[in-house]
Amino acid sequence: MNKNKALAHIGKYAVTYLFIALSVFFIIVSGLDINYVASQLLLRLNRNAFIVLALIIPIIAGMGINFAITIGAMAAQIGLLLTINWGVTGVPGILLAAAITLPLGAMFGFLIGKLLNKMKGQETIGSLILGYFANGAYQLLFLFIFGTIIPLNDNVTIVGASGVQNTLNLTGSVGLYTAIDGIAHIPFLTALYAVAAVLALSAVIQCARKAISAKRMIATLVLAAVIAGVFSIPGVAAVVNGAHGREVKLPLVTWLLILALCLFNSTIMRTRLGQKFRAVGQSQTVANASGINVDRTRVIAIMISTVLAGWGQIVFMQSEGIGTFQTYAAHEQVGLYAGAAILVGGASIDRATNLQALVGTFLFHSLFITAQSAASALFGDSAVGEYFRAFLSYGVIAVALIMYAWRGAKQKKEGQINLSDRGKSG
Amino acid sequence: MSEQAKRSGGGRRRAAIVLFVLAALLLIGAICGYVLRGAASSGANLADMRTSAVLHAASEGLVENIAQQARADKLKELRADKDFRKRGLDEVNAICDAARDEARAEAEKMYSNPVVEDRAALESAIQAFEGVLATSGTLSEKERSAYAALYVSLIENVSDWTDLAGENVDDDAVFTALCDAEPDLNLAQNAHLKDGFVRMARDLAAAEQEKETAELQKRLIDQMKGDVADWSAFADLEDEALWSGLLEEMPELQNSEAFKPALMDAAKAFAAAAAAGEALPEEAEAEQGAETFNETQADYSYFTPSEALAKEQADNAEAYEALKAQLVAIIPDLAGLSDKLQDTLRANVEAVVWPGSLDFTTRYDAYVAHGAASVLTGGAAFTMKLASLAEALLLASIALLLLGLVMYAWEPLTKRFGVPRTIIALFFIYLCLLSELYNISVPMMLGNVLERMTMYGVLVLAMMPGIQCGIGLNMGMTIGCISGLLGIVFSLQFNMTGFPALIFACLSGALISLPLGWAYSKLLNRMKGNEMTISTYVGFSFVSLMCIGWMLLPFNNPRIIWLLSGRGLRVTHSLLGSFAHLLDNFLAFKVLGVEVPTGGLLFLGLCCLLMWLFSRSRTGIAMTAVGSNARFAEASGINVNHMRTVGTVLSTMIAAIGIVIYSQAFGYAQLYTAPRQLGFIAASAILIGGATVSKARVSHVLLGVFLFEGVLVFGQQIANSVVAGGGLSEVMRIMISNGIILYALTQSGGGSRE
Repeated sequence: MNKNKALAHIGKYAVTYLFIALSVFFIIVSGLDINYVASQLLLRLNRNAFIVLALIIPIIAGMGINFAITIGAMAAQIGLLLTINWGVTGVPGILLAAAITLPLGAMFGFLIGKLLNKMKGQETIGSLILGYFANGAYQLLFLFIFGTIIPLNDNVTIVGASGVQNTLNLTGSVGLYTAIDGIAHIPFLTALYAVAAVLALSAVIQCARKAISAKRMIATLVLAAVIAGVFSIPGVAAVVNGAHGREVKLPLVTWLLILALCLFNSTIMRTRLGQKFRAVGQSQTVANASGINVDRTRVIAIMISTVLAGWGQIVFMQSEGIGTFQTYAAHEQVGLYAGAAILVGGASIDRATNLQALVGTFLFHSLFITAQSAASALFGDSAVGEYFRAFLSYGVIAVALIMYAWRGAKQKKEGQINLSDRGKSG
Repeated sequence: MSEQAKRSGGGRRRAAIVLFVLAALLLIGAICGYVLRGAASSGANLADMRTSAVLHAASEGLVENIAQQARADKLKELRADKDFRKRGLDEVNAICDAARDEARAEAEKMYSNPVVEDRAALESAIQAFEGVLATSGTLSEKERSAYAALYVSLIENVSDWTDLAGENVDDDAVFTALCDAEPDLNLAQNAHLKDGFVRMARDLAAAEQEKETAELQKRLIDQMKGDVADWSAFADLEDEALWSGLLEEMPELQNSEAFKPALMDAAKAFAAAAAAGEALPEEAEAEQGAETFNETQADYSYFTPSEALAKEQADNAEAYEALKAQLVAIIPDLAGLSDKLQDTLRANVEAVVWPGSLDFTTRYDAYVAHGAASVLTGGAAFTMKLASLAEALLLASIALLLLGLVMYAWEPLTKRFGVPRTIIALFFIYLCLLSELYNISVPMMLGNVLERMTMYGVLVLAMMPGIQCGIGLNMGMTIGCISGLLGIVFSLQFNMTGFPALIFACLSGALISLPLGWAYSKLLNRMKGNEMTISTYVGFSFVSLMCIGWMLLPFNNPRIIWLLSGRGLRVTHSLLGSFAHLLDNFLAFKVLGVEVPTGGLLFLGLCCLLMWLFSRSRTGIAMTAVGSNARFAEASGINVNHMRTVGTVLSTMIAAIGIVIYSQAFGYAQLYTAPRQLGFIAASAILIGGATVSKARVSHVLLGVFLFEGVLVFGQQIANSVVAGGGLSEVMRIMISNGIILYALTQSGGGSRE
């Protein structure tokens, strides 16, 4: 029985384990300094985690991978452009951009939701193509409407032609670079010990309040001890504490925001709205029969996701090492990379958790960092690594889609779960 | 029809009538504008505006210069002040800006209304300059554009040139090579530019070589830094031993014979420094190499004008000097400007006198943009404004008329043709009307549309069996496209040319696509209901996988691989030596100004005929039955999975042939990520033709590809004449192409028909 369970677990997380193996292999082959990999990885994690987490709610609501988060990113970029245009700097600038993103993202999300309701069962492809379509509208806005119909300052437009510049600087007097990241940093080890302590403390408290069993508490305590213990070994600690190279530090506020979003994702599932998401995700027919307005629930899910993705894009843009705003390209790969990342973490087209999103981002980007060096070590050509990264991104999504469709077909055949109400409205 | 529908129909009629009335009003306005224009452009008003605009343009630079000078002076004054450091940056800026604005206002007052004593002389000078500018320009444009096009092309393919433009190749050979490589540019016609072209090619090649060397050096130094102790041992080695040692440590240098001396120098310097324990050489040198290349890129100095052009420029200068003498007489301060500001002055004046054409609207707009609006008052101003708006009014009136017609006949139209086809067809008609107005040659455009039809036709046809057999829009047809590209690359590898190459590419492509398409169909048979999503991502993944494949496959014909690294296929392959435009030029003729690519059209017709015959056959009918209703087909004893396999394989194979035809019409074969979006283009074309995700006919393919490419070709030309730069037509393509797929998805509930 136990063996079967383990096999089923490995089967379910096959992609994740494959990626773990690949990551380890790549890190070894690439010959990159482990301190460098660790610091890059954490940097990319705090850059991307927010956007990836924005994918969870639509997945639970049964709408698949919402590739239309690119539209959320576009909303955020409109916000950032206006912020730069008005010369608002620092934290107020970020808050302004976020405030502009909120209504824009909500409005776009509303429209996306309405459209996706007309193509139930094909949301993944629908949102992808919608993203492409919106890219056209975005270019129309940035090339031909901004600077002409909507006046902007000379420092963001192309002088002598219509449209916004290709690249906008976020550093220097624009003052948006690391506006969130730069508020405060804490060493990685301190953060880790704090997390372990919080984990242990909450386990004890929850056990005392009889919210979890003693067995679960002990398991959690052991986990916390292991986390703290592993990084107390001098060899391991040396990777991050600056004994070799740079000390790895975490931008505190960014991480607090990511944690807040995790908390939001798990809290909303306990509310009435969250129950609706889950019910609609499991079966639209049943949800409809029990008096839930299915279409409205789905629209709300997409609206939340779009706004969150927009904020995620702001977190991304201000983060360390970016510094420039590629006006016409910054949003293009957002959906692809975020979708691939969450699937790598073991999520599927209809199931996803915070942990899967974080683990997925971690694994996906560990490959991203090492692929080029690994490829030049293996094939003598770093361009192969670039193509390999693209292949991984698309391949992971293709495999997840195939596995999901396969499972659906199998279950339908076995008659266990009636999935046929899933979007077969046409 | 329900009561409500009837009422909305009536409402639509009423709205249509309102639109008609509006259109008529605008039309009257437009006619008035055109009538007035005749009088306005010959009358004195426009000339007055021109004079005023020229004076304004001349004084503009002067005023700005004075204003900036005042700001700089103020800043200097503040700096001299001992309290300077106490002031914040913002405060200093504010003070300086205020000083600047004040100076500007003053200067404007001084120069804005200069006293013109001899107006007639000024006007005749302007007139003369306008005449010179109007007749010149084409020659310089032609030469300059040949230069610029060559420049861009050289920069893009610079790695091909490092060998061809070496020092041991003589000038004539380099020029011949240039003419061969860029036949589209007609370089031979600009033989007087030969020296410039050759020098440019040489310098670019040298710069590229330098850059590559620098990059390799940088990599070498990077590597050496990792292991300083080991490398210090190399310091005493002989040259050959050192090189073989380097190769052992860095095998990727194997193909870098050409860079050997430079790399050896870097390695020696490094090893010596390491052995002596001195500071290690930094990468500064490497950076420098990259900079040299960028500087060369910005260079325009190879350009040597022809005699005719030189004369033209001399005339131009003479007319300008005459005009400037007049201007200096009016505003004496103009004489004292620096050289740089003189250039700006000339550019400003030229932009006013020759705004691109002598068309009324262009002139009017240019003059208004240079502050000539205030010259005219009252009725004259209104007349001019109306005359300048005539075109816009006419266009708006036509648009409203069309809109009204559509509103009026909405229901019968959409019932007959479907919503998107109606909209696109009307848009196409509107674009045709527009191109008449913008003086774009419609026959030439139609020729382009036909050419693009032969280019995309077969690819779009590949969508048809996919739809008929029930897998919906086969976005994974890129698998077939890549097989076809492999076929082309094989034909290039074996140096094949002409029809044998074309036929070989088609056949081998189709053959490669057979097993791939079969495996792909087996996958899709297990994924019923999700085909479009999965085929899209399977297609994307396959394209990216093949990107690695193109890099690593062991092709070795130097014509198709990267010369420098000695392996990996290039991105773009010119088919000029093999089968470019072969079908299109076959029996091609010109009728009523339309160039007809006969061979290509015949081939497309043949493919369509075969497809039509196939869909009439037993298998074809069974397949169509599966596509339109799988349950019913199964009940009547048709093997659904088998039919789906047949359709998918067919679709993939047609796609393989399609990309070969596409490449011959395009003249180039593009590898790597280029085929990724082809599925989307083909899908949108067939949908525009009227197909749905479950039904498609040959007529949908032909009509769709005509309308889609028609809208794109006409739209691109018109967009380019409305807004400079190609952005608008690209935006249009993205929105039409994806919009139509979205529409199809909403109509079908997505491709699943169970």
